[in-house]
Amino acid sequence: MNSYEAELFKDKKLGFFIFLAVEAVMFATLFANYFIFTPADRGPHPSELFEVKTVVLTSFFLLSSSGTLLYAEKALEAKKSMGMLIGLSVTFLFALVFLGLEINEFYEYVSQGYGLSASVFLGAFYVLVGLHAAHVTFGAVWMILLFIHYKSSMPKSLFFEKFKIFSYYWHFVDFIWVFIIIIVYLPYLI
Amino acid sequence: MNLSFLGISKYVPSDVIAAWIFTLIAGLLILIYIIKKRKLPVIWDYLTTTNHRKVGLMYILFGFIFFARAGIDALLIRSQLAVPNNDFWVMQYEKYNEVFTTHGTIMIFFAAMPMLLGLMNVAVPLQIGARDLAYPFLNALGFWMFFSGAVFFNIAFFLDSAPAVGWTGYAPYSTSEFTPGPATDYYVFGVQISGIGTVMTALNLIVTIIRHRAPGMKLTRMPLFSWAALITSTLILVAFTVLGVALYLLMFDRQYGTAFFSGDQGDPVLWQHLFWIFGHPEVYILALPAFGIFSDIITTFSEKRIFGYPAMVVSLALIGFLGYMVWAHHMFTVGLGPIANTFFAVTTMAIAIPTGIKIFNWLFTMRGGRLSFTTPMLFALGFIPSFVMGGVTGVMLSVSAANFQFHDTHFVVAHFHYVIISSTILGIFAGIYYWYPKITGYMLNEKLGKLHFWLFLIGFHMTFLPMHITGMQGMPRRIFTFRIEDGVNATNMISTIGAFLMGIAIMVFLWNLVKTHTTGHKVNADPWNGRTLEWTVASPSPEETFNPMPVITESDAFWYAKKSGKPLKTTNELIASPIAKPSILPALMAFSLFIVATGITYTWNWLAIGGGVMFFTIIIIRTFVDERAEVYGKGENDE
Repeated sequence: MNSYEAELFKDKKLGFFIFLAVEAVMFATLFANYFIFTPADRGPHPSELFEVKTVVLTSFFLLSSSGTLLYAEKALEAKKSMGMLIGLSVTFLFALVFLGLEINEFYEYVSQGYGLSASVFLGAFYVLVGLHAAHVTFGAVWMILLFIHYKSSMPKSLFFEKFKIFSYYWHFVDFIWVFIIIIVYLPYLI
Repeated sequence: MNLSFLGISKYVPSDVIAAWIFTLIAGLLILIYIIKKRKLPVIWDYLTTTNHRKVGLMYILFGFIFFARAGIDALLIRSQLAVPNNDFWVMQYEKYNEVFTTHGTIMIFFAAMPMLLGLMNVAVPLQIGARDLAYPFLNALGFWMFFSGAVFFNIAFFLDSAPAVGWTGYAPYSTSEFTPGPATDYYVFGVQISGIGTVMTALNLIVTIIRHRAPGMKLTRMPLFSWAALITSTLILVAFTVLGVALYLLMFDRQYGTAFFSGDQGDPVLWQHLFWIFGHPEVYILALPAFGIFSDIITTFSEKRIFGYPAMVVSLALIGFLGYMVWAHHMFTVGLGPIANTFFAVTTMAIAIPTGIKIFNWLFTMRGGRLSFTTPMLFALGFIPSFVMGGVTGVMLSVSAANFQFHDTHFVVAHFHYVIISSTILGIFAGIYYWYPKITGYMLNEKLGKLHFWLFLIGFHMTFLPMHITGMQGMPRRIFTFRIEDGVNATNMISTIGAFLMGIAIMVFLWNLVKTHTTGHKVNADPWNGRTLEWTVASPSPEETFNPMPVITESDAFWYAKKSGKPLKTTNELIASPIAKPSILPALMAFSLFIVATGITYTWNWLAIGGGVMFFTIIIIRTFVDERAEVYGKGENDE
């Protein structure tokens, strides 16, 4: 990356950080919404619904995907393309496993009759955790695009930039998940 | 009127038919004009442009078109309220609700916001020495999102399903239980789509101002309009995001069976909190850019440096900050309790302090200056006393005990029109007259401009000054008529006459536009004898600006360079600048969101999914046609 590109990258980085701040405001409002409506005085109590096993598993995969992405990032910086590809692939797989577990969790609730309209608690749960899952899905598709970009004739410095931006996104999505554990699940598991 | 078509008979109100006929004829005339004058390439140019001046021009143009539509709504409202027990056309009951809803929503979201963002788009990069906004593609996308949201909202009326929930969309009335059918969905999605576009443009402006100032243009040397743009943009980031979440939740309530805002578990007051956490900062989002415009205009036409520059900047920031701590003053009568009401009353009163500082600084800027009473300056001078009057009624309303009497009367209507018209609308007109040479290369006719100003100012005071009395007499807002014995006949009549006077003023402005472009002449780069950098580039501003790049050593550097007779210092150093390349993708992306919104509104799920697929496909295409690819990888060490 030459100095001209570095300057343009700083533009993009600043803009993306502001975008993430906007996302943080959005999630904060939804957390407040969840906090207001949970537990609801009608319908299931969250402690009957949430299971420690699911939360531990989903958290394990999503949070360690941040670590594997960090590994890929370091490999990219050290110009070890094999390490980068492996790191990114594992991150992608972990994201898929996370999504599978999440879909399974939602499916179980819905099949017990606890859908979006069962109570305000469940509504607030789905609009928050569902939006987060949508972010993970978006990130997973983004990773596929990164693989294609890597194979394409794109200048390496541009690929580096795109990879960096993705990694900010992914770490942010993980960061939100930590808050989901603390605010959504934890108070009703212990 | 009953229309029957293919054996189906449907009642269609005559105002909708009139609007269809008018729009079809106008559309046909415009189409003929375009084809006859061979303007199609121009349209394609603007459809794909990412240049900040052109995007800004489109923001202003379409903002003005929606301003005209919402202005006609206002005239319909005033016609209905002209005399007691009136039955004007169809403007009673539900129709009246629709008209005041579209008037408010369009004026705030689709007229005032885009025209201000348009002026920022045009002027901010030129004022700070940036060659374009930091992300030209995103800028075009932000504009087209506004455009498709606004068109989506406006289409509702033509299909006889205009929303009637007020521009505040208060729950539970806005939930599907009380307003089933597509009308309220037009409000939800129209505002949502354009709101996301607004956040994008705000983000773009912030990065531009932080990263792309000319060498030596420190933040402390920046013109006040750019400062106002910076602070406004940070307000937009939070305010419009909260609004977006509120609309997202309302969408789930209306479409997917949740009950956040209604029913035995939901909480309608939550909607009010979320809406006003957006809504009150929104007032400052509208006012602060106007403050910036007036600051620049007053310094230019007083030929003096702004009085108390640091105080002006700090008061802008302080107003922005306090703007987030006053939202519940819209909710004094909800019953939040005396402690909450007292807190919000005190913070509201506190806003008068930074605002007062600004007023005095403008006055002191003019004191001892060489004033020239041009049209932009007249608008600025008209603004100061009018805005103070709005501020005074604002302090009256902030007294929460008294507010119980004023609440939901025409007194409130008078107050917020006083503050918004005198700051935002006068500011927008001032800005249009001031920067018109920079946008088009022509100077608007001064004589007609002054006529426009005086008619508008007199009409404005005639409409809203009597309305204070109407409100004090107890006339509630959002009610379509009144009785003879209510004692508000004369004041209502005067208000109506004033409203039509404002309408005439706008006609004068339109005539001015026509006259300027048919008989006007091109002007040079600096027609106003300006002080800031935008007057160093040609009129209209070319796509390649600031080459060579000026080096700034003080605020109002251009002015002092002119006075000393030496040109501004420049540098030929290579400066990383934004890469603006034309692209049709922003318009298509915004259009695909329009399709999604249509699909969800009418529960045509296939259409919504199709629109969503189109949207994400375009994003994927976009990652492969990145304009940076042409610039990257050509450096000294490619890695």
